[in-house]
Amino acid sequence: MKKKSIFLFVLSIALIFATSINSALAYFTTYAEASGGYTLHLGGGYVITGGGQDIKEEFSDWTKRVTITNDPDGQPVFVRARAFSGSEYSLSYAGDDWTAGEDGYWYYDRILNGGENTTELRVRIEDIPADVDIGDHFNVVVIYETTPVAYDENGNPYADWNSTLEGE
Amino acid sequence: MKKLKNILLSPRTNLAAFIMVVVLILCATIGAASAAMYIFETYNSRVQMFDIGVSLLENGERVSWRDYGSVDDGKWDANIPGVLLSNMIPKGEQLALGKTYQEELNVRNSGSINQYVRVSVYKYWVDPDKFAKDPDNAKLLDLDSSYIDLHLTNLDSAWIIDTNASTSERTVLYYNRLLNSGDETPLFADKVTISSACRKEKAAYNGAQFRIEVHVDAVQENNAEAAILSAWGRNVVVDEETGTLNLR
Repeated sequence: MKKKSIFLFVLSIALIFATSINSALAYFTTYAEASGGYTLHLGGGYVITGGGQDIKEEFSDWTKRVTITNDPDGQPVFVRARAFSGSEYSLSYAGDDWTAGEDGYWYYDRILNGGENTTELRVRIEDIPADVDIGDHFNVVVIYETTPVAYDENGNPYADWNSTLEGE
Repeated sequence: MKKLKNILLSPRTNLAAFIMVVVLILCATIGAASAAMYIFETYNSRVQMFDIGVSLLENGERVSWRDYGSVDDGKWDANIPGVLLSNMIPKGEQLALGKTYQEELNVRNSGSINQYVRVSVYKYWVDPDKFAKDPDNAKLLDLDSSYIDLHLTNLDSAWIIDTNASTSERTVLYYNRLLNSGDETPLFADKVTISSACRKEKAAYNGAQFRIEVHVDAVQENNAEAAILSAWGRNVVVDEETGTLNLR
């Protein structure tokens, strides 16, 4: 009989504890979660084309055609370019989407995203003498600069030409 | 005295005491069930269940949710984990450093009971190749999470930062009011900018991937202080009249 009493006592205590545990865990809860991101491509290996074989092909027309290509994983950039020649000859520029700046550079009007090409910038040598001999040099050097697209507080893109990547 | 002892030790008395304990426990359980609506995955109740649900909204669209059904069958409607930032960059464009993108985040009560809500925002950098294979071990701990500028908004007016629980990588926010069924909170974030300072440390950041992760937790309205302490381990004070929540 005594054992039965002890059993009932222990069972009562166990029931009380079990009830307490249940109430501690049993609240309505729920959750949601989401994540995302992008990989940065800070490639800066911008390629200039228009030299070498292209110049020779175009030389008959006294014009050098320049196209600038952004790397496929390159960040969006602004582009500007200019050419230098000897003092004997002057140069003229032409090209869709290119605008002359007051500093002698020609500015590409659009943002150049990764993998994109500029349209042609045509640099023509003017005042060519009539008696050009084979072996005469008409050295025209084109340089270009790119700068990553920056944004103002309103989200408008602008070019900060104090921060450039040069090519020649 | 001896008579009393005999009465106390008699089998009938013991049996009566045991029955009384059982009855008291049943009464206590019924009382608690009416005071606080419980849910637990293994909980088996015969009282009517009320469904709790919460959704994370990005630019007005639900991107993640977990809504329990109104039937006590342990089932729920969920989209976890959801995907953030999938439409951040317009088609044909690339991520531009320094550019501010819209990233409006808030919470909707998508259940049928009122609730309290907290949000944890994580910002960090990962190696994308490692992340694809083993997301838990892909973090680039040397890179600066402050370059990931997720702009938090409506602070103090609607959201409280738990500074004790926040770090440079994690920010914990509590919505300071009761969120009624079907209602939405004000925004807790509105825009994101990746700092152009990354460009100056090109060797470190080129090829790195920034990640933003948002966790939303919701808990029942009834017995909220105890429920929040039990579920989230945080002492809060809830004004019974206004439902306003403050951190203790």
